[in-house]
Amino acid sequence: MVKIHNNRFSNQNKKREQPKEDTFSNIITNNLEENLDNLNKLLDKPDDLLIRKFSIRGSEHQCATVYIDGLADSNYVRNNIIENLQIQRGKIQIPQNKEMLFDVLNQELLSSTTLETGLTLDDASNGILSGNTVLYIDGIDKVFIIGTQGWEKRAIEEPVTESVIRGPRDGFVEDLRTNMTLIRRYIHDPNLRFKTHQIGRRSKKNLVVTYIADVIHPDILKEINRRLASIDTDDAPESSFIEQWIEDDYLSPFPQLINTERPDKASAALLQGKVVILLDGSPFVLIAPSTLGTAMQSPEDYYERWTIGTLLRILRYLAAFIAIFLPSLYIALVSFHPGMIPSNLAFSIAASREGVPFTPLVEASLMAITMELLREAGARLPKTIGQTIGIVGGLVIGDAAVQAGIVSPIMVIVVALNAIASFALPAYSIAIAFRIILFGFIILSGIFGLYGIIIGYIMVNIHIVNLKSIGVPFSTPFAPTFFKDWGDLIFRKPVPLLTERPRYMQPNNKKSTVKENKE
Amino acid sequence: MKRFEYADEKISDNQILVAMPSFVIGIGILYLPRSMASVTTGSDGWLSLVIGGIIAVIITWSVAKLSASFPNQSFINYSSTIVTKPIATVITFLFVILGIMVTALQVRQIADISKHYLLIETPVEIISLVFLLLILYGVGNSRAGLFRLNTMFLPFVLFIALVVIVFNINHFNPDFLMPAFQTGFGGLWEGTKGSILSYAGFGVVWFYITLVERPEKTPKKAAIGMCIPIILYLVLYLACIMVFGNSVTANLQYPTIELAKIVEIPGGILERFESLFFVIWIMAIFNTTAMALDIAILALHSIFGKTNKIKLLFIVSPIVYITGMYPQDLMQLSHFSTFIGYSSLIYTVFVYILLFATAKIRKVI
Repeated sequence: MVKIHNNRFSNQNKKREQPKEDTFSNIITNNLEENLDNLNKLLDKPDDLLIRKFSIRGSEHQCATVYIDGLADSNYVRNNIIENLQIQRGKIQIPQNKEMLFDVLNQELLSSTTLETGLTLDDASNGILSGNTVLYIDGIDKVFIIGTQGWEKRAIEEPVTESVIRGPRDGFVEDLRTNMTLIRRYIHDPNLRFKTHQIGRRSKKNLVVTYIADVIHPDILKEINRRLASIDTDDAPESSFIEQWIEDDYLSPFPQLINTERPDKASAALLQGKVVILLDGSPFVLIAPSTLGTAMQSPEDYYERWTIGTLLRILRYLAAFIAIFLPSLYIALVSFHPGMIPSNLAFSIAASREGVPFTPLVEASLMAITMELLREAGARLPKTIGQTIGIVGGLVIGDAAVQAGIVSPIMVIVVALNAIASFALPAYSIAIAFRIILFGFIILSGIFGLYGIIIGYIMVNIHIVNLKSIGVPFSTPFAPTFFKDWGDLIFRKPVPLLTERPRYMQPNNKKSTVKENKE
Repeated sequence: MKRFEYADEKISDNQILVAMPSFVIGIGILYLPRSMASVTTGSDGWLSLVIGGIIAVIITWSVAKLSASFPNQSFINYSSTIVTKPIATVITFLFVILGIMVTALQVRQIADISKHYLLIETPVEIISLVFLLLILYGVGNSRAGLFRLNTMFLPFVLFIALVVIVFNINHFNPDFLMPAFQTGFGGLWEGTKGSILSYAGFGVVWFYITLVERPEKTPKKAAIGMCIPIILYLVLYLACIMVFGNSVTANLQYPTIELAKIVEIPGGILERFESLFFVIWIMAIFNTTAMALDIAILALHSIFGKTNKIKLLFIVSPIVYITGMYPQDLMQLSHFSTFIGYSSLIYTVFVYILLFATAKIRKVI
């Protein structure tokens, strides 16, 4: 109940006498009616709360099943619980004694795969609200919580955000249990662990921390558990909330935990000695810790042959370079160091800039902001209209801007190339980080030219080397250097040579191929 | 189960190996060929470079050995046990001043060269202020971060130097190497003095070895690290002589940058390579300067104990800036740089002899 201390409201408060709150106790009593009454008071008689009272197999024992329509599987409740309890069949005798009745129900009558006993009203209501069916029996101060969860869920589909040409096509869904199954289907290791935490004071969502017990370094696990325990929020609607709660530096533009929709990527991370965090209700799972190197990798690097995988990665680093530096380099060269441009190109740039009223800095900022607008508009609109935005934005505006002499055609090329390069990166979160940095570089190069770019580059590097992801330096294995890990960093060794887990994770068991570990 | 390592402030001896060349390679090499060529004939400067290099390696190794015999103790701690606490404080404080001077010099020099090659219209004061702010950001963050930056930047620096040398091979004229061994003893001595100055990176050894967890191998690693700049300098010097000849090299302000100027990138995608070369070289200069300031802060911190690192930085940085802006022209700057070079060299040797001799006499080690 909210108490308003402000005097101004006290008069009105008196007039609107709050109805005296119904009191109810948290304990479960022997009286069935009282128990049901308590439950109804707690939940305020919702329409979808289905209570069915009946007597057990015609005996004088009254009981009631309670579940929420839609969360629990009604067919299952009817076929396996109510039918079993109502209809007399078999030779089972219903004892008079309440204690014995409880045992008989527990041992013989309730045919369900999960069955727990609850002692308090909280147990019962939590069970009901998470889709279980609660069985109250008159004269017994305990309840049965029967696992009957069954709600509508999305079928497993191909991941939308991370598509690959070759590789498994299944993606995580919103249902936690399905996601756990997906990981189990990839790794049949007895040491695979799923530890459940409960997140959200009100939403009480399940969050599962997954790892392989004999691979992961225990300190990392301890640190993640410590941070998860510190989460205090009403609800975490998306795994991104978890990411933002437990990340090391909230001022950094870089994502310190990588998210993925792909079970193959998640299980590969598990085998590297990392932790995967699954949140109920989110198809995006978090991989922790993650480094700059992992943000630049795609599972496809491993599915193609090693030459292709390596070349793809080099291409991706080139894309990252273009995504960050291209507009700023253009600005620096055109406005500060025109002597560095080869003379023929310098002439054609000068010719194309003829009549453009803005400096390259303004021109580039205009185009880059337009690009962001197009990206955002395309992402928000329905898919069918989204394509129209691309055509209108890319072709019509670009062409018209050049025709009108607002921007030079070369600037359009520069910005378009820059945008394409940033979308060639495998993780959306890192691509966005690069696009943020891009604007910083545009401004720096507009003021100081190449000098500004190198100052900015050093600044970003200072930030990266000081950034950590769950205690692991973000810049590793570049620095702190682990040369052994470089075989799977920018280059990707042939699969038979990929025998070691990454050193920077300091895994318990280093080799991934040989069963016995010498070290 | 062992602790999750490497993520904290402790550094490995391999990082010392990288820190040595990162500290030494800086602005010095940009004009070193000039000072070598002006006092020697033909290509005899290499003798000076090698002699100076050997001396530098010996000093580095000895200082590292002395520091490493007091594992996990800060400089002021172990020098207090050797000579008394007041003297140790004075010694440390002089190191602070030296560190501030080196930082100021670098901040000023980088601005001068940047103005010359990159930003003709921007005032020196602004260029150096921007650089100083960058240094403050670097030093204000963790010390382990600086060592990681060394490992990230050194490959770029060595690579761009290699590019300059490789793309100049077609300009090499071996005749310029002659006449050999014609320089008198005086010229060689002058050259050696100049080369030792350019190798002066001893502060790293005094202060950073104390951060190494197991420093048994560190003296060796530091000496190996010292060899990298010696080889680089030697190669760049010889390249300058072979391309320009002795007399031209002696008259160029920054022969190494001029060497980059004549590089032609195949395909002609980029002209005036020296701008790009210098831009990359700023990374090397950043490492030198950041570590110099960091040593000053580390030493200051060890004197004043609990004072906040950021607070110290805010006190020190105006001094750095004003000192750096003080020299009025290139002549004064060059005197300033020679003065700092000599004083850091002489001071290091002096402190080493003082500490080593006293330690031997008082049988501390």
